[in-house]
Parts: sequence; C-alpha cells; structure tokens
Amino acid sequence: MRRRLLALAMLIVACDPVHDDAISALGGETPGVRKGPLHRPGQPCILCHDGAIGDPQRFTVAGTIFQTPGSKTPAEGATVTLTDATGNSIRVATNAAGNFYLTPTEYDPTVPVQVVVTESGGISVKMQTVIAGNLAEEPNNGSCASCHFDPPGPTSPGHVCITLDDGGTPP
Amino acid sequence: MIRSLIALLVASLAACTLPQSDSRSTPQALPDANAFPPVAQLLDVRCGSLDCHGTVARNLRLYGSAGLRWSASDRPLSPTCDRKAEVDQDYESIVGLEPEVMGQVVASGGTNPDALTMVRKARGTESHKGGKIWSEGDDSDTCLVSWLSGKADAGACAKGLVDVIPGGSSNPLAACATLPPVP
Repeated sequence: MRRRLLALAMLIVACDPVHDDAISALGGETPGVRKGPLHRPGQPCILCHDGAIGDPQRFTVAGTIFQTPGSKTPAEGATVTLTDATGNSIRVATNAAGNFYLTPTEYDPTVPVQVVVTESGGISVKMQTVIAGNLAEEPNNGSCASCHFDPPGPTSPGHVCITLDDGGTPP
Repeated sequence: MIRSLIALLVASLAACTLPQSDSRSTPQALPDANAFPPVAQLLDVRCGSLDCHGTVARNLRLYGSAGLRWSASDRPLSPTCDRKAEVDQDYESIVGLEPEVMGQVVASGGTNPDALTMVRKARGTESHKGGKIWSEGDDSDTCLVSWLSGKADAGACAKGLVDVIPGGSSNPLAACATLPPVP
C-alpha cells in the first residue's frame, strides 16, 4: 500500500506540465558533451537538479560564469563566494565549462544570499542585488540562469560574466 | 399589439437602468503619489528582484532598476535607478491590490496599516512565499507605513535601502534612495 502511495506521489510530482515544458524548452544535450559537471553551461541547472525524484541530485545554488557578455567563453577557475543571511559563507570554483554547483550538504543557504565572483586573474565582481527568492518552494531561484538568461532585456541582465566586452566591470 | 409595444418599452427601459450605487465604487483616498519615489526604490530592491515580485507572474508586480524594467530598451541596473514610468507603474500596482482597504487606511491617516495584506506579508504575519522581509517599526517598515499615513519618511526609505544592499553605501543603488527617478 505504501509503495502504491509513493508511486502515486511520484507520479503527481512528475506531472507538472509547466515544469515539463520549461525543461523541454532547454533542448537536448550538446553533441559530444555527456551528462555531468560540464554539460549545459548557461542553463538553469536547478530546473532539473531540484531533487524532486532523487535523480539528478539536488543543487541549492548553481550556475555558469562566462568571460564577457558578448561571448560564451567560460570563466574557468573563477571563485564564486556566497554569503547567506546568517553569515554562512562558502567558496566554490568553476570548472572547465564555467559551471559551479552546490548540493544541500555542502551549502543550504538562508536567503537573501550575496554573491561575489572572482576570476582567476583576481578581478572581483560583486552582485549588486541578492538572491532573494524562496529556495525551498521555488528551488530554481538558486539557478543563476533563472534571472541571468540570454538575450539581455528588460527581464534579464544576460548571462553572468566577469568583465564587460570593453574590459569594464559589469553592474 | 399595444401590449407588445408596452412590453418592449418596459424591457428597453429596464435594460437602460443605471446600476445601483455601490459604496465599493466610491472614490477612496489614495496615498501621495508625489512622495512615492523613495518608497518605490525601496520596494524595488527589497521586493522586486527578478526572482520575486520583479516578474510578470506576480499579482504585485514591481518594476524597477534592480529587477524587471518597464522600458524594452532598459536592462536590470541600467540605468541604475528607477525611471519615472516604473515608479508610476509600481504605484498603480500597489494602490490596485486592495483599493478599498488602501482607501480606509489612507483616509484614517495610516491607522491600522496591518489591514493591508502587503504590510502583513512584509512583516511576516501573513503567509508569504518570500518569508518575513522586515520587522514592524524598522526603517523599511517605517518607510512604507509612513507613506500610507501621509507623512512619508524618505530618510527611513534610504536607510532601509542601504542596510540591505551588498556593500551598503558604496553600492551604486544607494544613491538612488535620494535621487529623483530617471525621466
């Protein structure tokens, strides 16, 4: 009986057409890049990594750092420093795709969360606003790309980058 | 024939009858739009981020420099401060949420602001997906409540803003608290 209820619960969780449509809109994997830490740079990681059905693993905060607004060159080796409302802070490095991610056991922040990105050369950029959305009820708010998506416009500043195309620092 | 004409006339007159007067449609007192810009800038930063009320999916939709922009050519944080059009849109959003209650609160000089859902949600005394945003009596709360009372405290709005933005007074957004909206 319990197994049936569990199966039913999982079925209900899996039947969210809005969520399913959002995932479908992301498209397939890039040819030649298998599922893993380097896949889907710039996409809203936690749309899938929400732990809803256990696999893929849940992330609390995750995203991709690029070099400039005008390119998709990853900022490999950049350091992302997060500090939450309680003062709990963590530093995480970006990988070869510019991706970083944190699991709940590594960091389960209390919003608002402040963000500073420091590139391997030492340039540091502080996000002028904070991650403020409810991460428990809307986990995808922990994805950089839930707000920072392309193309830039009234609803998005564009993908996260470390320097502007002219070499300045982004706002 | 005459009966039919009379029936038609009566039906026509009935169709043209004005609706009953409705106290809910009586013009209510509104908070001061001229004193709203510092309040709007605070709400923009504290409530209107892109992952909260700075999205078209919210009933309380807020436009502003720290989130959703009104102009198609603007970007978050560019320009750094709110535009006049954004302040106007935010004003409409807020007074339109609970117009009757808003009218009562404003007409009474800000008595019982807790009657407004948005005040309770920000204080965390009403269920709010974003949780408790501020406490009763702190600078941000004073900013909103004083505006509703007709005695807007722009200083409290500025302090409330600077207290929460990363970097405090060194954050470019801090200057927005005291500047007029961008045209």
